[in-house]
Amino acid sequence: MINSDTTILEKSAKHAATSTPVSLARRIGGLSDRAIAWLFITPTIALLLAINIFPLIWAIRLSFTNYRANRPNAVLENVGLQNYHRVLTDSDIWIAMQTTAHFVFWTILLQTLIGFSLAYLIDRKFRGHAFWTTVILIPMMLSPAVVGNFWRFLYQPQIGLFNYIVSYVTGVPPSSFEMLGSVSLAPWSIIIVDTWMWTPYVMLICLAGLRSIPDYIYEAAEVDRASAWRQFWSITIPMALPFIMLAVLFRGIENFKMFDMVMLLTGGGPGSTTEVASITLKREAFESWRTGRASAFAIILFVAVFGLANIYVKALNKVKQR
Amino acid sequence: MAEVTLAGISKTFGQTGAVDNVSLTIRDGEFVVLLGPTGAGKTTTLRLIAGLEAPDAGRITIAGRDVAGAAPATRDVAFVFQQYSLYPHLTVYENLAFPLRSPARRLHDAEIDARVREVAKMVRIDHKLQNRSTRLSGGEMQRVAIGRALVRKPAIYLMDEPLSSLDAKLRAELRLELKRIQNELGATLLYVTHDQVEAMTMADRIGILAEGKLVQIGSPREIYSNPANLHVAARLGQPHINLLPQGLLPGCNAPAGTKTIGARTEHLEISASTPGNAEIDWIEHLGDQNHLHIKVGEHKLVTLADPYLAIQRGDRIDLKLRNPLYFDAGGQRLT
Ligand SMILES: Nc1ncnc2c1ncn2[C@@H]1O[C@H](COP(=O)(O)OP(=O)(O)OP(=O)(O)O)[C@@H](O)[C@H]1O
Ligand SMILES: [Mg+2]
Repeated sequence: MINSDTTILEKSAKHAATSTPVSLARRIGGLSDRAIAWLFITPTIALLLAINIFPLIWAIRLSFTNYRANRPNAVLENVGLQNYHRVLTDSDIWIAMQTTAHFVFWTILLQTLIGFSLAYLIDRKFRGHAFWTTVILIPMMLSPAVVGNFWRFLYQPQIGLFNYIVSYVTGVPPSSFEMLGSVSLAPWSIIIVDTWMWTPYVMLICLAGLRSIPDYIYEAAEVDRASAWRQFWSITIPMALPFIMLAVLFRGIENFKMFDMVMLLTGGGPGSTTEVASITLKREAFESWRTGRASAFAIILFVAVFGLANIYVKALNKVKQR
Repeated sequence: MAEVTLAGISKTFGQTGAVDNVSLTIRDGEFVVLLGPTGAGKTTTLRLIAGLEAPDAGRITIAGRDVAGAAPATRDVAFVFQQYSLYPHLTVYENLAFPLRSPARRLHDAEIDARVREVAKMVRIDHKLQNRSTRLSGGEMQRVAIGRALVRKPAIYLMDEPLSSLDAKLRAELRLELKRIQNELGATLLYVTHDQVEAMTMADRIGILAEGKLVQIGSPREIYSNPANLHVAARLGQPHINLLPQGLLPGCNAPAGTKTIGARTEHLEISASTPGNAEIDWIEHLGDQNHLHIKVGEHKLVTLADPYLAIQRGDRIDLKLRNPLYFDAGGQRLT
């Protein structure tokens, strides 16, 4: 088909004159596939630019200034890399980063181990496995705000169920320890809640992985005299690995920016023992109002997560291609 | 290698009877082919022997041992699955080595390596040993699947249509190769196919399965020339046996009760003559031979002919029967 643009326009004009649904269809048909594709994705791109890309660029710009959001009319001064220098040499921020890493490591480890084990059990297809899958998924469906408040009650030293159960099992008096108030226990109280809430999610992804392994592979292994142990390590794990890695990626990114649960449970305390990066960032931005420096911190976090995720996705692809 | 017996084996899945009262003995070192149309229960029979399904009734013994309730691993069988069943995350080499790496076998790496390479050469896959098993053509996967069975020396090899996705040339080569390997090892082998050429050329005995029943079992010759019924007769012979009503053609002395006459190429005598009782309807040239499509009144027949036979479309011929097969109204053979 050799159609110059003018003829297309003429045609569409003609069709517009005899305006019926058919003519509309023809007019769209007169556009090239490319043009139609652009027509469809333009709103999305515009929206993305407005709410994602533009703020990002704006934050990059602010990160090089001394801007303070509580004094919007003050004169903007370019300070070069000073904000970045301050962030990277601030020992508080490094401590917050370590706290975050600690959270990410333990939540991922626990969630992957427990999530995969649950998926492995559910995949045995015992009677009522569908029901139990649904039951296990409930925590994940709750709102973090509800979960946070709910666990604050459970962690109450005097009336909390958690302390009661721990004391019942170990024999220590329930009010002798305070999950949220003690420096050594507070980080674990958050890890426990996050694991309780998000293990089901990891389980779901692992379950999809286990279900993707066809039965006949196990049958072949069975005939080839592979023990259950060997089947697990040489078939189940390698074939479910891409899914497990995907779950780790999702949880890792999510927990790197963990905010709501920490805010609701401990608010970063006691002291700053549970102050993760996102809380420091929020303090910097909305309590100290050092918007420029907070922007610099946010950009550093973004680059770090983006870089790590990229390396990880490369590894994931390698595993998948095997 | 060992003798395997099935005695009165039955298996139903819900409403469908897959295997129905099958009794069969595969003697030590024997090559038995199960031949049957799709859905006849061939795969199910193999799976029952391997222990991947439990029979509803009947007994299976391997090397004299009743294997009821025994796990597949303890039955000492090797299985070539219809859908290949390679381990997708492993290389061809690792796939072939997998059965040998079983701790129960306690083989040294050097032994495993030698065995893997030897078998890879047998099934012509030695040039692709380091490929991922998912990066192979269907035919290559099938060869790996055969190889993975051959690395072992089990009581019995069970092979489910192992050559079905190879091209004709390779299939013919591997057919010979497989027969040679089986002879060399003295292997007991139960082989499933719906390709009659494979059955005729490889089998010591052929078992014909139809709708879960073992209709007839015997040497290829026996099955071919003495079919028990119409179904068996129709499974073998290329082109298909012609089924004609009694009395259509001259030259037979049918026993009483004959309803249908089965006539293969060797049962038909053609001589050019006018007016004759038949007409050449069509000739298919296959190269080394011709298929003659012949019309006798309402009926159509297909038979083989020498390509040099001076005969053309539209020619009148005289068609006579010579010792055809006779079947009664129920399809049973009459002699
Ligand atoms: N797991 C199963 N569940 C239900 N029905 C089954 C199952 N396996 C086999 N069947 C049924 O049993 C019958 C025999 O199946 P089988 O796979 O043994 O046939 P087959 O002879 O191997 O056929 P093909 O040549 O197509 O492989 C079929 O009717 C099939 O639908
Ligand atoms: Mg089958």
